[in-house]
Amino acid sequence: MPPYLHHAITGFIVLNVVIGLVTYVTLLERKFAARMQSRIGPYYVGWPHGWLQPIADALKLMMKEDIVPTAADRWVYNLAPIAFLVPCILIFATIPFAPGLGVADLNIGVLFFLAVSSLEIVGLFMGGWGSNNKYALLSAMRAVNQIISYDLPFIFAALVPVVLAGSLQLSAIVSAQTGFWFVAYPVLGQLAFVAFLIATLAAENRVPFDILEAESELVAGFRVEYSGMKFSLIMLGEYAHMLGTSFLGALLFLGGWLGPGPAWLGPVWFLLKAMLIFLLVTWVRWSFVRIRVDQILAISWKLLLPATLLLLMATALVVALQGVRAV
Amino acid sequence: MPSSPSFWAETGQLVRAVGRALGVTFQNFFRRPVTVQYPTVKRVYPDRFRGILALAYEKDTGEEACIGCRLCEFICPPQVIKVEMRKAEKRNYAKTFTLELYSCEFCELCVQVCPTDAIIMLKTFDLATADRRELLLDKDRLHALGLQHEPSWATGNRLRDMQAPPKPVKAEAKAGGKAEAKEPAE
Amino acid sequence: MDEGAPAMTTDPGPGRTVVEYGYGGNERLVMNMGPQHPSAHGVFRAILTLEGETVVAVDAVIGYLHRCHEKLAETLTYVQYPSIASKTDYVSAMTAELAYVASVEKVGKIDVPKRAQYLRVLAAELQRIASHCLWLGTWCMDMGGALGGGATIFLYTIRERELILDLFEALTGARLLYGFHQVGGVRYDPPAGWAARCRETVDLIERRLVEYEAMLEDNAFFLVRTQGVGVISRELAQDVGVCGPLARGSGVDYDVRRADPYSSYGDFDFKVPVETAGDCFARYRVRMVEFRESIKLVRQVLDGLPEGPISSRPGVKSVGQVRIPKGEGYTRVEGARGELGCYLVADGGAKPYRLKWRGASFSNLSVLPHIIPGHKIADVVAIMGSVDPVFGEVDR
Repeated sequence: MPPYLHHAITGFIVLNVVIGLVTYVTLLERKFAARMQSRIGPYYVGWPHGWLQPIADALKLMMKEDIVPTAADRWVYNLAPIAFLVPCILIFATIPFAPGLGVADLNIGVLFFLAVSSLEIVGLFMGGWGSNNKYALLSAMRAVNQIISYDLPFIFAALVPVVLAGSLQLSAIVSAQTGFWFVAYPVLGQLAFVAFLIATLAAENRVPFDILEAESELVAGFRVEYSGMKFSLIMLGEYAHMLGTSFLGALLFLGGWLGPGPAWLGPVWFLLKAMLIFLLVTWVRWSFVRIRVDQILAISWKLLLPATLLLLMATALVVALQGVRAV
Repeated sequence: MPSSPSFWAETGQLVRAVGRALGVTFQNFFRRPVTVQYPTVKRVYPDRFRGILALAYEKDTGEEACIGCRLCEFICPPQVIKVEMRKAEKRNYAKTFTLELYSCEFCELCVQVCPTDAIIMLKTFDLATADRRELLLDKDRLHALGLQHEPSWATGNRLRDMQAPPKPVKAEAKAGGKAEAKEPAE
Repeated sequence: MDEGAPAMTTDPGPGRTVVEYGYGGNERLVMNMGPQHPSAHGVFRAILTLEGETVVAVDAVIGYLHRCHEKLAETLTYVQYPSIASKTDYVSAMTAELAYVASVEKVGKIDVPKRAQYLRVLAAELQRIASHCLWLGTWCMDMGGALGGGATIFLYTIRERELILDLFEALTGARLLYGFHQVGGVRYDPPAGWAARCRETVDLIERRLVEYEAMLEDNAFFLVRTQGVGVISRELAQDVGVCGPLARGSGVDYDVRRADPYSSYGDFDFKVPVETAGDCFARYRVRMVEFRESIKLVRQVLDGLPEGPISSRPGVKSVGQVRIPKGEGYTRVEGARGELGCYLVADGGAKPYRLKWRGASFSNLSVLPHIIPGHKIADVVAIMGSVDPVFGEVDR
């Protein structure tokens, strides 16, 4: 079979699987959050535990009226959800679910992932600007500030496993963790993992860093003027990005598909580890109040960036002295 | 971040505080949810629950208890009750009795003043409808509601007995019968 | 949205002042934090003038919830109005009703039996706990977002508030607006087993309070949001006339329950918390201590509840039953938000001649244009939450 056809088919399958996963991850978050708040989450739709709730939400959003404000910048407004969604879905192209099972296992996988995932900021700003709404504009400006500030610590934290493994290729990084996950690496691994989680929270606009969408101040931030299918594209993009960074975290720090049992169990372990990171982020999200934008930026520039820079240099030093943990 | 004397002390405190907050949410994860799955499960309403209004019948004769005295109409703060009296030989009746439930405040003052315990409140509130005209209750509907649902504890005489200052001769029993209220000295 | 209208900050109109904070030469944006807003705590419109993220001026517009309470009181008798009075401060309904009936009793010189006074104190303190539960929940939700950690605290405090509302439901039959007080006493006597249930509930809430403090107290995220934010100096508090936890958080040691004891508050022993910092965190501390003091008060009342009648007048039998001779007077109570007062002018009939409500939140809101300028938008919601307005009191 010609390679382009092979890639197209795999890409199509991965895309559908990812979108399906993303919709059900919203249900997982709602049930998990509900249990932490002494209540039951979605229940009746798809009785008995809301299994059809994501489908119902998707159908509802598809049937809603598509409102475009009169004074909005039409081209920018209409293209923003797509410009937001495409990078968030594109990152899944480089993620290997098992050795050889992925769309494109680039040998600059991590670089591609990090670079493309930060393109979402363009779509975000387009949405805020095109809505012609002061709340959306404020939110978009805050977003640019925040995501750009936190991309640097995110990259540095993600580079620690790269340096330890000596390769940017994701499957090589996972193979380098055989028998010893990077998160278990003394001091450097744990600190890098914590920094990665914090940067994930900020890059995803999750509480305590969700000043962007601050529900009680900016009422959905840059999404405020979107309704119907465009809104669902934006939500899809957000949760896809969330899932993508969870996958990345599982690959970089928790050993990807490595786990006891036969080889075909690999993708299952991988999914479980990604879910673990996702639930960890959700747990933090539902436990804290948010902090102000100037405080968020202060944490990033004054605390997280120097810390991750030092961490990266320390890792480089260790690797220079000991050699890489390549297979 | 507020400046502090020691970076490490502050970081340690932050880590502890984060751990404590996460611990509280974690603890709540394992508590039973407090959700009551209405309408399959209904919670137990207390005796004095103030639900929708209804008209009652007299216990001994089975006749309508309302004598059309209009005390409830006069006391209702939002004036949702309208009564017309029909005179008869032994006692009066209500010719028409309309109650606009959509404007009712559920303050229980009409129940309080009723001399014959005719108007009562029920232990249910479930009368939601898409058409507001269904909430304009007339006499037949009020009587039918009274037969369909469980009445609440409060009736006019019971409430007035509970509030009346006791006579010095008779000992006050809360569940007891009618004690004639003496006008207290002010 | 304001193009064509005169700039709010330069010409606010006769009799209104807007305090401006000079920031720099940057472009100003007039943004409306409109009456419909998730964190407006009701219907409140704040027209903010922003430079970047900093608020430069605030123009507060109220009146969206005006329901003519004072005129309504002139058309309803003393027997009918208490259940309406609860709708002024609807979050803390027991104290609102108490303000009204206490003023009627003062003008009419009507005694209230001891048991009724103790029951009134019990109801008021339980209501204060419930109202502070709602305050904590909504404040954290405003700061943490409806879909974030704040919502978690909101649901926990609402879960605890539901316990108190269940107690009130067993007592009166209603959960939010009670009609519990009447002129001369109260309408309902606690049923059997209620006192034990009340004690259990209060014990449970005390244990859960420890959890909330664990989630918030040392939390750096919470502290940076609330410390140093919205500072009301002691002089400003006394000049503008704020009351309640706002004043006590700024060092003004004043509580109506102690300064002007009503309804047997003098029989009980409770502390009035005062903090001097004047910021949101100080007000938070004041209310958290008030939680515990109210719990102590509830226990003292339950221990000392005397037997006896619950009303000095017979139960309501007719609409014009209570007639108050000519006179006028002002009575105040310590509501959950501050001093809630009722000035009554009676003319001998069954209806008041004039009734004036002194709403605690109305006075408290007037401090906003002085303290908000200079802060960021995110602080506006934190400050609004710590002021804890209820617009039923503000607009009446």
